[in-house]
Amino acid sequence: MKVLIVEDEKELSENVNAYLTNGGFICEVASTFWEASDKISSFSYDVVLLDIMLPDGDGLNLLRILKQENSNTGVLILSAKNALDDRVTGLELGADDYLTKPFHLPELQARLKAIFRRRMMDGRNDVVFNEVRLDPDTMEAWVGDEQLPLTVKEFELLLFFITNKKRVLTKQSIAEHLWGDNVDFLDSFDFVYQHIKNLRKKMTSAQGNDYIKTIYGMGYKFTD
Amino acid sequence: MRLLTKATLLFLVVALLVFGVGGIITYQMVVEEVQLETDWYLDETFKATVKGIRAGKSIEALDNEKVIITPLLGANWPDTMAHYKDTIAEHFNLRRLEPHRNLTKIKKIDDTYYRISITDVLIEVDDMYEGVVGVLSRLFLFLTASVILGSILISRWLFKPFTKLLDRLSSFNLKNTSGLEVPETSTREFNQLNSFLRSMTDKAQRDYRSLKEFTENASHEMQTPIAVAKGKLELMLEAPELDEEQAGLIQGAYQAISRLSSIGHSLTLLSKIENQEFSVSQNIDFSKLVENSIEYYRELAELKEIQLESKVTPGVQLPIESSLAEILVSNLIKNAIQHNTPGGWISLELSADHLSVKNSGAPPSIDPGKLFERFRKGNQSGGSLGLGLSIVKKITEASDWSVTYDYENETHHLQVTFN
Repeated sequence: MKVLIVEDEKELSENVNAYLTNGGFICEVASTFWEASDKISSFSYDVVLLDIMLPDGDGLNLLRILKQENSNTGVLILSAKNALDDRVTGLELGADDYLTKPFHLPELQARLKAIFRRRMMDGRNDVVFNEVRLDPDTMEAWVGDEQLPLTVKEFELLLFFITNKKRVLTKQSIAEHLWGDNVDFLDSFDFVYQHIKNLRKKMTSAQGNDYIKTIYGMGYKFTD
Repeated sequence: MRLLTKATLLFLVVALLVFGVGGIITYQMVVEEVQLETDWYLDETFKATVKGIRAGKSIEALDNEKVIITPLLGANWPDTMAHYKDTIAEHFNLRRLEPHRNLTKIKKIDDTYYRISITDVLIEVDDMYEGVVGVLSRLFLFLTASVILGSILISRWLFKPFTKLLDRLSSFNLKNTSGLEVPETSTREFNQLNSFLRSMTDKAQRDYRSLKEFTENASHEMQTPIAVAKGKLELMLEAPELDEEQAGLIQGAYQAISRLSSIGHSLTLLSKIENQEFSVSQNIDFSKLVENSIEYYRELAELKEIQLESKVTPGVQLPIESSLAEILVSNLIKNAIQHNTPGGWISLELSADHLSVKNSGAPPSIDPGKLFERFRKGNQSGGSLGLGLSIVKKITEASDWSVTYDYENETHHLQVTFN
């Protein structure tokens, strides 16, 4: 999956680049409006990660250019400006999703993969990890042939784990993924624990493996 | 009271004083002048009488109601000085007692001494008093009438630029990009006031804009380095050779940074509310919003074994910006979940005029009066920032609503009253 990271903050794009490359993405980085528009017109990308506030231009204009050039490219808007009108304008112009800074890298990866799934896989949206299979459209999950009786939140949790497999997920990033940044209190970690306990129970009782590893002091990791 | 009415009244009070004092002075001068004139007349009559006697006119011919000539026997009368005195005598015409002025003098004319007494009626003091008061009171009435009429005309014409300015000031809005429009005037003071207000409002608008810019920039510029640091720590967590202690340290730093980020978000939100950057264009369905929030948080409450009950009156429409309304309601519910005990309960009620959230929980450890202050929190070790209720307070203030808190029968009760 080819991703263009348009972000003027070098350190930030480096972080994203390192994390996504580690997760199997092919990344390119543009730090100015002109560099980005140059790359967009020369190459084709699966998803463009777009910071709205650029030093030499409005990221939203970049989005307009992009949609004229190639409407098949997914766009994830990235900005600290969580003003509603920017979000609305961005989505109206054809952006797929919106993420406000600061964000968790696993969250970014999950959103990118979701955009990719929606755009690239025609009809076949399933997310598979060994014997576990998820259909994000119907929100159904199976272990082998047995369907798991998951709640919405448990499904989202499992999908988040699989899209970030073999990576450490902190309790914060899981909590924010499930409840948004509305959940700013520490109690939410208990909730995360509860959900993981329930998810584990449901998966193992369907004869699945326990892929969720507790990494002490850090969080959880979904790995075989 | 209007400025001009006040000034008019004050002017009339001063005028009344001036007219009073002026009246007393006028009265005294008139009385004095009348007396002088009378004395002069008596003196002239006396001289004419003496002349008549010298010319050989008979005393009977000279004698009348006003002049009494008495020849004195003997030769040893001294020539007396003229002696004026006030007296009361019968008026020769009116036949009643009136104040008179009398001059009596003994004069030697051709070896005979005469006592000549001349009497004349005085103008009555009462009459003079009445005359003065009559004239002055008419003048005063005329003055009052013209001053009142004048002040009405002045307020219409002279104060027109001023009242116009007041109108424009009252409709002046900091958020507008156009400055204060001041009315044209040829009055120097009004011109000064206009230019002063103009520069003041311009400065206020500039300050407002730069403050707004600051909050916007602060939120963007602060969140970027925070995002960078967060990302670095997340990358660090991926390192394979990490031991438990190092992981703990990273986790600690990570939490602190997350906290910093939320504080930044909350403070930006607070100043945005204070700057009134959320404009209300229409009523929103508050009932639906409350229902949605309840559903959103029901799961979290249940995970904490808290019973969440609600009684929502449908169709409550309120004039509030929807994202602010969402923050208000979710902060109240979050607060009730957080300051609760396992196995506790929350009872939420929405009616047309209030939203009330009650929940079980331990008594507050801080002064309830300070509950809405920033960074006040009952539980210092908890994950809360201590900003939730101050945001609630700010939102209610911005909407002209009110919020109250009390603790009774082991129940926390927060109530937002709509106007």
